[in-house]
Amino acid sequence: MKKLLNKIFLTDLFQGLWVTFRNQHPKYIYTEQYPAERPKVAERYRGAPRLNINPDNGETLCIACNLCALACPENLIVVTSERNEATRRKELTEFTYDTSRCMFCGLCEDACPVDALELTQDFELATYTREGQIWDRQMLEEGPKPTPYKC
Amino acid sequence: MADEQKPEGSPTPPSAGGEASQPPQKPAAPAAKPAAPKPAAAKPAAPAAGGHAAPPKPPATMAATPWTSDLAQELKERFAGRVLETSTYLGQNFIVAKPDSVIPVLEYLKLEADFDYLVDVTAVDWPKRAERFDLVYILYSFARNERLRVKTYIPEGYKPETAVTVHLAANWLEREVFDMFGIQFAGHPDMRRILLPEEWQGYPLRKDYSIIQQDQAWVRENLEIESGQ
Amino acid sequence: MPDATFLDSTELVLNMGPQHPSTHGVLRVILKLDGEKILGTECVIGYLHRGVEKIAENRTFAQFNPYVDRMDYVAAISNGLGYCLAVEKMLNIEAPPRAQAIRVILTELNRIASHLLWLGTHALDIGAITPVFYCLREREEALKIFEKYCGARLTTHAFRIGGLLYETYDGFEKDILAFCDWFLPKVDEYEELLTNNRIWVGRLKNVGILTADECKEYGVTGPVLRAAGVQWDLRKAQPYSGYEKYEFDIPTRQNGDTYDRYLVRMQEMRQSVRIMRQAVAAIPEGPIMGKVGKVIKPAVGEAYVSIEAPKGELGYYIVSDGATQPYRVRVRPPSFVNLQALDRMVRGALVADVVAVIGTLDIVLGEVDR
Ligand code: SF4
Ligand code: SF4
Repeated sequence: MKKLLNKIFLTDLFQGLWVTFRNQHPKYIYTEQYPAERPKVAERYRGAPRLNINPDNGETLCIACNLCALACPENLIVVTSERNEATRRKELTEFTYDTSRCMFCGLCEDACPVDALELTQDFELATYTREGQIWDRQMLEEGPKPTPYKC
Repeated sequence: MADEQKPEGSPTPPSAGGEASQPPQKPAAPAAKPAAPKPAAAKPAAPAAGGHAAPPKPPATMAATPWTSDLAQELKERFAGRVLETSTYLGQNFIVAKPDSVIPVLEYLKLEADFDYLVDVTAVDWPKRAERFDLVYILYSFARNERLRVKTYIPEGYKPETAVTVHLAANWLEREVFDMFGIQFAGHPDMRRILLPEEWQGYPLRKDYSIIQQDQAWVRENLEIESGQ
Repeated sequence: MPDATFLDSTELVLNMGPQHPSTHGVLRVILKLDGEKILGTECVIGYLHRGVEKIAENRTFAQFNPYVDRMDYVAAISNGLGYCLAVEKMLNIEAPPRAQAIRVILTELNRIASHLLWLGTHALDIGAITPVFYCLREREEALKIFEKYCGARLTTHAFRIGGLLYETYDGFEKDILAFCDWFLPKVDEYEELLTNNRIWVGRLKNVGILTADECKEYGVTGPVLRAAGVQWDLRKAQPYSGYEKYEFDIPTRQNGDTYDRYLVRMQEMRQSVRIMRQAVAAIPEGPIMGKVGKVIKPAVGEAYVSIEAPKGELGYYIVSDGATQPYRVRVRPPSFVNLQALDRMVRGALVADVVAVIGTLDIVLGEVDR
């Protein structure tokens, strides 16, 4: 009998519709208006790499130890250095980072002994060319500059 | 691309020198030590492996200890001369059987000892050994809540008997072994490649297949590109 | 001739996939049909093969860790847990208790996220469009917790061999508990939408039956096995990472059909919440990283370690020759093995049932092909 009533009055369908109706309320809007509103990513987000510079004197923090390059599973970091005869220290000359092959695992960041290399909260890494994905030292120090979206 | 440099080949930065003076426990120093995979530099985590007096020579063997239990005894008696070894390593039991008696062993284990779930079939390539491949069957018994590995050593070109007759699960697993190692299973209902395309040349998980190697001819013909590697 | 239809048609071969919305990726199923009836199937897989096992042989133990996330990418944390446990077994160490508790919390959260994605897409395949929005909404919250904890949402690389790299962030416990409280009513909501829905029941009941014996024969594990009445869960059978400390049930059902598998997974989500609550209440203090050197170099030997991933038994068989790189890493993927039973489950059924069965197997092609 109950089954029959269920069948006639479609209770199961209305039960489902009621759930849908409950969720109609505008306060349940979850859509992100992405380019207009940039989402705030978490503090630990692993995004665009950055080579930190010392804010006091503008020199790079990197000591060219090559540990990040050794740690990277994809071998995509190339560090070149030169020995400065005056200070008898290795100095960074070039640093390339191929973001197209990077999987943002963070192993390079962990390996860096002086926190020079860091994966930042920037996530807009798209470029129009493959070459644009290979970042050099200057780009790494300044960070990506995506064109801001205008609507 | 020089993608696949082994760390051994890369120069070790000088800061690795102090590592040998650390206590035998692995150095937990906060400073990032570079990868210095010299056998003599740091003792491998051997003390944990229980009496494994690791000589720093590479061809060390697995420090397995004999496995004694009723089942091991039973297996040794029933398959005298055909089950070569019953051992345990890190608390995991395995037996080594002769290639032609693997299927009887599996059958016996399934019917008499409740090892009714074939977890995995896989292989390991040891190109320098006379019997080139390890063939590994991992079994599990729901009733005993136990795992057991059945291993066998086979030379190249040897065609082991298929296990599909005992466990249907072996079908795809053996196909994958064939696909990756080129081990043909005799009597398998459908011995074709499974992951790679049918016409692919070479067996990728063999040690002589380099990681950037691929079947260029196939790529050219079917994808009409020159591979970027 | 019972097989001949009144049109006396010949066998028809139909290609389903690789680009088919309900094959959940690049799976191609060749169906042999007699009218609507399926005479046989053949799966063509490998479109997503990346050679993960070969990559492993050319990376150090620590370097391979991020790659395992890319197999079952909807349950990356489970993959990572399995791999870390396997290498820890080779090194004969254990992660400290605090790390273990955090691992359990994140893995269970990941199980929920994985089941939610399964539920949404499965319902979408069957024709219920609403659940997928709700499921993704809830999953988003789980992913946000991952992002806050380790900085990535999907391919998390959350665990390290020997323990954890990241300490919990401020408010981690609060976030998890808030998620639990908020999430449980949502499961009821899904059940309201689906469990009694006549279309849902009609499409799933008695479809794709796999009995317990067949499951064992095919090596099928996970919810599929439990829906067939076998109360087997590796978290209970061979506890790892401290699961023995938590109280939870293994939901089972008897029929082994698609509807039962749905119910089992719904129950599993509730159980995961239960585990998370217990684990959060008792996160011990202490270090999060065990005694592991910078160079991970297990002794010569081999080990097989498996965990209960959302899809079934996920195992890692690792062979080491004493070098810094694994000699061989074999991944025992649950999806790959479960998919093998597809043929058995749909033989004699209708084409529309294939969609339901692929959905209920909960395969991820990244893991099938590796
Ligand atoms: S994030 Fe990972 S893949 Fe990317 S550069 Fe760093 S170590 Fe390499
Ligand atoms: S690890 Fe750090 S300091 Fe060393 S080369 Fe890389 S970025 Fe520079």
